Amino acid sequence: MSKTLKHDLPIHVFLIFAAILTFYPFFFMAMTSFKATPDFQHNFWGLPQWIQLSNYSDAWMRIRGYVVNSLVVSTTSAAGVLCIGSISAFVFARFHFPGREVLFLMLLALLMIPGILTLVPAFLLVKNLGLMNTYGALILPYIAGGQIFAIFIMRSFFASLPEELFESARIDGAHTFHLYSKICLPLSKPILVTIAIMNILSTWNDYIWPLVTIADGRLWTVSVGIVSFGSQYMGTESWGPMYAGYVLASLPLIVLFIFTMRYFIAGLTSGAIKA
Amino acid sequence: MELVVAGGPSAREGRSFRKVPTGVGGQMAQSTVASGAPKERGVGLLRNILRRKEAYLLLFPSFALVFIFNYYPAASALFHSVFEWNGANVQRFIGLGNFAAMLKDPTLMGSVVNLIRLALFSLAVNLTFPLLAGALIFHLRDLRLAYIYRVLFVIPLVVPTMVVLGIWKSIYAPHIGLLNALLKVAGLGHIARPWLGDFRLALYAIMFIGFPWVAGMSTLIYLAGFQAIPSELLDAASIDGAGTWKRFWQVEIPLVMSQIKLIVILTVIGAMQNFSTIMVMTNGGPGTVTMVPGLWLYRNAMYYNKMGYACAIGTALFAVTLTLTYLNMRYLRSSVEYTGI
Repeated sequence: MSKTLKHDLPIHVFLIFAAILTFYPFFFMAMTSFKATPDFQHNFWGLPQWIQLSNYSDAWMRIRGYVVNSLVVSTTSAAGVLCIGSISAFVFARFHFPGREVLFLMLLALLMIPGILTLVPAFLLVKNLGLMNTYGALILPYIAGGQIFAIFIMRSFFASLPEELFESARIDGAHTFHLYSKICLPLSKPILVTIAIMNILSTWNDYIWPLVTIADGRLWTVSVGIVSFGSQYMGTESWGPMYAGYVLASLPLIVLFIFTMRYFIAGLTSGAIKA
Repeated sequence: MELVVAGGPSAREGRSFRKVPTGVGGQMAQSTVASGAPKERGVGLLRNILRRKEAYLLLFPSFALVFIFNYYPAASALFHSVFEWNGANVQRFIGLGNFAAMLKDPTLMGSVVNLIRLALFSLAVNLTFPLLAGALIFHLRDLRLAYIYRVLFVIPLVVPTMVVLGIWKSIYAPHIGLLNALLKVAGLGHIARPWLGDFRLALYAIMFIGFPWVAGMSTLIYLAGFQAIPSELLDAASIDGAGTWKRFWQVEIPLVMSQIKLIVILTVIGAMQNFSTIMVMTNGGPGTVTMVPGLWLYRNAMYYNKMGYACAIGTALFAVTLTLTYLNMRYLRSSVEYTGI
């Protein structure tokens, strides 16, 4: 046995045990999602006797609307946050103007205001604006709230870019927009991707806000839709389609994760410092 | 970690901008602040603002959005906390009436007790299991496997929260739930029960969601903290004869205090704010034994139309969160500075 493995072995035992405990429920979900109901009833713990793919087609028929809504809402919100947020961050990082620090602090102070305080008035506001039961009821507040932290991160990143780059472009007669789009943004790709991912994750998982602002089931996002979907199966014994729905609802984020793993981990770690 | 680093330079930079005369940095050639007689200064500032109007125009979308969707609702909540308000025609000033009513509201008081229990349990969990997992991954010599564990423990984070809760619902389900099925296999069928419907145990069942609590943000944060420790420091401790255990307590833990502090803040804020878990799992039941203030706020606003009272609960939660965050920042030690050693 190599020296490394000898040193690591007790750690592996513990971590693998923890991983098994963590992942067994997910494994059970994936396994059961392929089982027909009688198979599930008589063969609770075992692997599926045969693969019941109709679980997936049944579940997909019922949740595809939610997935589409979430895709629209989450990607639009993330795009909005990147667009509006990066412009503001660029201004804060590279412009000098009276009141810059005060304005920046005004944004930063919002990080201290919890969503639970603003929930009721924000709901009434959206209602009075006639936005109830529209994508706008979700997207606009998501951009407003999501940009704050994004501006905070992007500002420090943009400010750390070397001034000489901007200076030489300026001498060549580049306009402000050119500095932003041709120098600032291309150099900041990793941080932009990170912010987009964090935003998609948080809006995808949001439950309370879509619950109060969207009454029309056809416009529900995955979070709200999947709870309603799951509760219809909970009392029954046909967990196959229920779990198939859960798997399908998880797939978009998992695909996103696979393609952006590097950014994801960095983003989650840095995103944690939100408070 | 990135942010701690990112915050540093920008803060430093902010200071240096104030010292440097405004004409020096980048764009500034044309906008030097008039530094003449005091009466000219006002005019100079105005001229300066006009000259930089591009900046304000570009910031407009951001500020329009936060004023409409963040500042206005926050101000409205604080304002209406002293009103009897149904969100529409009834709006009557009652001073601290809502807050007095909160103290006499048995459901709210019960929910506060639940909140304290949940928050303390969550703190205890987040300060042990993920810390241990982070430390163990950090101590692996095989870096490739350490990376694999790290990725492994991130995956559950990308499963939508509501799917995770759905799975836990099926673990606790009354007849065919995983937990009950497991107990039957183990010959303990007599203690099987509808866990979430049990008056005594429902709150504990909620606390146990996420067991063994190693996959998630906290583990990542601790791990990032451990990995930021300079290796010379750890080598020095080993050369001085510190065993693994001693090194862990006397070198590594003091150096991740900032991460521990962060986890404490995040856990407390999370516990104060999150009520969707309770809402989905038990909706405060059975009865109101798993009620939390956030859910009670929601119910008062959405079911009973007591918007003013809901705003008062929100205001109280806001005040408590701010106070706890402040106390935490003020009194919990940060990481030992190792630069001066």
